[in-house]
Amino acid sequence: MSANSLIAARRRDALAAYLFLAPFGLIYITFLVYPLFKGLWISLHDWELAGSYREYIGFLNYEDLWTDTIFWKAVGNTLTFVAMTVPTMTALALVLALAVFGQGRLKGVLRSIFFMSSVFSVSVVTLVWSMVLSADNGLLVPFFHFIGMKPVNFLGHPTLAMPSIALTTLWWGVGLPMALFLAALSQIPGELYEAAELDHASRFTVLRRITLPSIRHTVLLVLVLQIVGQFQIFGQAHLMTQGGPANRTRTLVQYIYETSFRDWQVGYATAMSFGLFLLMLGFTMLQLWLGRKGDE
Amino acid sequence: MHKTKTLQRLALATALMTTLWGGSAHAVDISFFRFFGDCKTEFGDVTDMAKANGECGIITALTNKFNAENTIGAKVVTQTVDWGAYYDLLTATYSTGNIPDVAVMHASVMPNFSDRDLLTPLTKPMADLGIDTADFVPAALKNASAKGEVYALPYDLHALLFHVNMDLMKKAGLVNADGSPILPKSPEELLEQGKKFKEVTGKYYIGSESQSSEGMMVRVFDTLTWQQGVDVLSADGKTASISTPEGLNAAKLISSLYSEGLVNSALDYPGSEQAFLNGETGILINGTWGVDNYDTQAKSGKVALKDYRVANVPQIYSKPAVWADSHMWVIPKDDGRSAEKTEAALAFLKFLNDNNFQWSRTGHLSVRQSVLNSEEFKALPHRAEFADTTKNATALPQIQNQRAVYNAMTTDLNAMWLTGTDPQTAVDAMQAGVERILRRNR
Repeated sequence: MSANSLIAARRRDALAAYLFLAPFGLIYITFLVYPLFKGLWISLHDWELAGSYREYIGFLNYEDLWTDTIFWKAVGNTLTFVAMTVPTMTALALVLALAVFGQGRLKGVLRSIFFMSSVFSVSVVTLVWSMVLSADNGLLVPFFHFIGMKPVNFLGHPTLAMPSIALTTLWWGVGLPMALFLAALSQIPGELYEAAELDHASRFTVLRRITLPSIRHTVLLVLVLQIVGQFQIFGQAHLMTQGGPANRTRTLVQYIYETSFRDWQVGYATAMSFGLFLLMLGFTMLQLWLGRKGDE
Repeated sequence: MHKTKTLQRLALATALMTTLWGGSAHAVDISFFRFFGDCKTEFGDVTDMAKANGECGIITALTNKFNAENTIGAKVVTQTVDWGAYYDLLTATYSTGNIPDVAVMHASVMPNFSDRDLLTPLTKPMADLGIDTADFVPAALKNASAKGEVYALPYDLHALLFHVNMDLMKKAGLVNADGSPILPKSPEELLEQGKKFKEVTGKYYIGSESQSSEGMMVRVFDTLTWQQGVDVLSADGKTASISTPEGLNAAKLISSLYSEGLVNSALDYPGSEQAFLNGETGILINGTWGVDNYDTQAKSGKVALKDYRVANVPQIYSKPAVWADSHMWVIPKDDGRSAEKTEAALAFLKFLNDNNFQWSRTGHLSVRQSVLNSEEFKALPHRAEFADTTKNATALPQIQNQRAVYNAMTTDLNAMWLTGTDPQTAVDAMQAGVERILRRNR
């Protein structure tokens, strides 16, 4: 084959490759790259949601953000929420997965039950939990009366409101990570367990030496998904506490939503979104870096 | 084979039917965006206004009646939106493009829209339709106008009221000789009477929404501040007077109502209504919108509340005043709207205006002088008990971003009983939060 025809063949291959990539590339550019830069552009403006008011103001939105006490409070609340939910969600999902992994009708039924709550919409979940937690006629009120206590107003309590939202989120979201862990557990070769049995390894040793190392990548995946997901907490706080009491549960996405949809300040809200983006990027990178370090 | 032929015939028939049906259908559908709840199951077929009650029932029946009776072939298609998300969704339609043809709007929210030219001007269309703007009470017409142009059809004036359980008040000895409830005339009396009520009946004197959602107590705070002769927000919307001696007085009074255990702090909005109907609270502080509902329930004999009465929010300080707002109908501006749709939307507004009396049956105060003067309005239950509310009604000035102001105040006012902040801290935080919003207003 001559050099010329080789080049031509290569070109054809490249063209084919680009053609195959085109649909994905197009969607990626339209729905991710373009909005990202458009967002950056909007954040440099005083840009209103309705009407046509747009004024270029440079980095003023970011300067405002720096001194906005509610924004920083929302950042703090969001971090608290992430710290409450991500580790517990991951651990709980793993424990549930280990408990219901394997054959048996009961395990099958339990798997469905644990996963079922994830299919509900956020409005249903928050409605159910608001009914449970209400201090007026909630499910727990008779219990409090029984032990002779005044019912606790969970969602109106300064320190208990956020854990209540975290609890709701755990109940709602544990199904998917559990399913991921179940899938990972089924991938572990049975010979490893047989070998361990021959060596009379204890159940704890099996868990520590075989199970956990084998599903390490899934743990990492779950952690990253959870971080990305929980940083965007919105519906639960918006519907259960409206950010109260005294801004104790106002989260970043909720504040972004209020700023853009209630106050119409899309420019300012977009600047906040970039703050959230950086925060999530930072934590995800840290997580991946820690995970990779373990691989070496 | 035979089966296929039958199916083919069926398909053809269906297609023909659809075409014929489509041809004879209403000339024009208009979309109608509102809150007030969804009650299609109960009132979906009702066109007889006498059979409808409550906000949701009456507006649903009015819509049905218009659809059944109008001669221009218009059909109103209702989209109900949950109250909490209503304005967010309405605003979003300006970006997404499915702008409704008729929408409900609070007077307090209108400046956001009218200042940006997002509403259809109605001065000329109203005159053409024969809607007499001179019949509107001046405050309502002012609410609906901006820069000399009318942008909305005012529909009611709604205000805060005291809804009273008279059986409990009698038990507590808080009844006048004429059968009306004894209500406080000073801050001291409010606390005294509350304590007396609690001692005798063992129930809560006041039951009102106290969580972070509705901000019922913000309306009480505004009322108490106005009653001391101080404007919560200045008329030009540039300054707030919340962290003032008068604001502090109001906050202290509200705070002590909770700390003395006279108000149930665990109630959300539906809970507060339920507790009142269950006979667990003496006074429910809620708006005019509840009157018809509570009256109907009390008369039904199915709830513990039997002897229901309404009262004006009493004058506790030097001046009479009570928080008020107004529901109005607007035609959101949409350059793509056809002339037929605009005509149908205007016809619907005219119909609603003609039936303003029906809406005032909910408990809201009518904005039409002719309705207020009518015998049928005066004959409505309990109206004499809160006749002064029209006179005392006070609203925040027509400025932008009132929802943000309201939410900022709710968060820090409710913190007094939810998180235990002291009144001074609360008014300072409210002042700071509100100023931050006012600064952004253009």
